[in-house]
Amino acid sequence: MQTLERVLDIQPLKAADITLQLNGQAVQAAEGETVLSVLNAVGLRRLAQNDHGQPAGAFCGMGVCHCCLVAIDGRPKRRACQTVVRHGMRVETEVNRVVEGAQS
Amino acid sequence: MSLRPVIVGGGSAGMAAAIELAEQGVDCLLFDEASRPGGVVYRGPLRAGVDLGYLGARYSKALQTLHEDFAANAEHIDLRLNHRVVGGDTERLMVLDADEQLHEIDYSHLLLSAGCHERNVPFPGWTLPGVMLLGGLQLQIKSGAVKPLGSTLIAGTGPLLPLVACQLHAAGAKVAGVYEACAFNRIAKESLALLNKPQLFLDGLSMLAYMKLNGIAMHYGWGLVSASGEGELREVSLAPYGQDWKADMSRVRREPVDTLAVGYGFIPRTQLSQQLGLTHGFSDDGYLRAVCNVWQQSSQAHIHLAGDMGGIRGGEAAMLTGRIAAVSILQQRGVLDANQAIERRERYLGKLAAITRFRAGVERYTQRGAAQIELPQADTVICRCEHVTRSDIDLALEQGVQDMASLKMRTRVSMGDCQGRMCVGYCSDRLRASTGRADVGWLRPRFPIDPIPFSAFQHLATEA
Ligand SMILES: Cc1cc2nc3c(=O)[nH]c(=O)nc-3n(C[C@H](O)[C@@H](O)[C@H](O)COP(=O)(O)OP(=O)(O)OC[C@H]3O[C@@H](n4cnc5c(N)ncnc54)[C@H](O)[C@@H]3O)c2cc1C
Ligand code: FES
Repeated sequence: MQTLERVLDIQPLKAADITLQLNGQAVQAAEGETVLSVLNAVGLRRLAQNDHGQPAGAFCGMGVCHCCLVAIDGRPKRRACQTVVRHGMRVETEVNRVVEGAQS
Repeated sequence: MSLRPVIVGGGSAGMAAAIELAEQGVDCLLFDEASRPGGVVYRGPLRAGVDLGYLGARYSKALQTLHEDFAANAEHIDLRLNHRVVGGDTERLMVLDADEQLHEIDYSHLLLSAGCHERNVPFPGWTLPGVMLLGGLQLQIKSGAVKPLGSTLIAGTGPLLPLVACQLHAAGAKVAGVYEACAFNRIAKESLALLNKPQLFLDGLSMLAYMKLNGIAMHYGWGLVSASGEGELREVSLAPYGQDWKADMSRVRREPVDTLAVGYGFIPRTQLSQQLGLTHGFSDDGYLRAVCNVWQQSSQAHIHLAGDMGGIRGGEAAMLTGRIAAVSILQQRGVLDANQAIERRERYLGKLAAITRFRAGVERYTQRGAAQIELPQADTVICRCEHVTRSDIDLALEQGVQDMASLKMRTRVSMGDCQGRMCVGYCSDRLRASTGRADVGWLRPRFPIDPIPFSAFQHLATEA
């Protein structure tokens, strides 16, 4: 499987001891990081599709705006900026059950 | 008294308070929803092995000192990270732990030091991915150790703009320019007040020198008009602002950028202070904040406030107010007598006075222009969670809505996930402008103040 490259780290990861699945692709992460930092590091900014079908990305970076909602290990609407990475975590962006329900 | 003092929020204010208590041998219980203490200014990188050189020597030193002081007192501080306080009353708090279980925590003395969030100023295109609040972007550089995509344009007002520009540049990111909405002569007029904190003033000057040296342009009296792009930000439009911040649309300039950071200041977090029933008042900038006396006591003497929660004054002031609150708690518990407490308080107040004068100068020059509320167009979204547009708000005001509660009922603003934290500033500005009143109410928090899963109640139920 192809590994997503982290292109925006200010300094290289000292130890990339964690691997996540981001939309089905592997990406490396370090202990302590938030899911948002990993998404930012690979340059992925369209994170959520809100209940009104609008795309959204991280906005406040501190847990208050609820614009960075992604699905984590199958649970929807988790804040990327408030979630610390774990090995094997599955992260999916732009999922929205309300909007998808309406479309089908 | 058997119960330990409880502190909500381990930022500059909460950490300083915990240290002051510990120095007198008093144990405390400190909750923070983040995974590391430090708050928005001093959380530091979340991963190991980051060299903080790009944030400046003075900052790295201050960060290190605070964390060392805190660690030296660790035996007295029961630090519960990843714990979010989601509600409470004057005797107990509801706390969601890292495993998403809810707990009831009784307290006798409480310090609220949960900080602030940024003021969101809506304009056409603000919801595009790639547009971020300035402090939020700064957190990604400081704690995430990640650069933003492409080149970044910074717009808004206040000293955080050049600071983040320098930090971004030093981190290796491209800065497309800084647009300070207020005119240069207004800042120059405040230089006397700003000299109350010579070091901060000098830091400001050296930031400008750094920017000049590195070719980062500083545009005074220029501000945002709109942002655009297909699905993501690609371009920002700017124009010269008049005294009241009305954009001169005959001179619009378009800048191709990938990231836009917008900073118009802060709004204290009042969800908890409101839920606890404390007395509140409004600041000159129009935001709600709990009121406190010279001991940092709220309208309930056993509940204290420190840091941004009592009004925005920056990290250094947050530490001093945290220390004063701790001194008050120490006196209430009989650890210090009245004379000892007053002597300590006066020492901290003396240091606070210069900061207060400095901040007053900053507040005067960063005072937002009245025309700012005209930035959104009819179809610009104001409340993103409930998709309420400017025209919905205009209509409600035309129909005679005069306060926040009625605006909420009429338009659904604030009924979504963020509970109005991102639209409250704009809604309050509009209501105040249309009614001419200073008090148009504020958004009331719901319980829980942050979403919690149903399973969180399991533990509580078994305890009961
Ligand atoms: C994003 C951002 C960036 C900023 N950058 C700067 C800067 O570079 N320089 C500067 O001088 N000022 C900055 N400020 C202003 C800043 O807030 C200072 O005024 C000062 O640090 C305030 O300290 P504090 O202790 O009051 O709050 P904070 O440092 O914000 O600490 C509050 C703490 O409370 C925690 N918390 C909040 N709610 C809860 C809850 N319900 N349950 C549990 N824990 C909770 C938070 O996780 C946080 O750690 C910034 C503000 C923001 C919002
Ligand atoms: S970016 Fe605002 S909640 Fe995550």
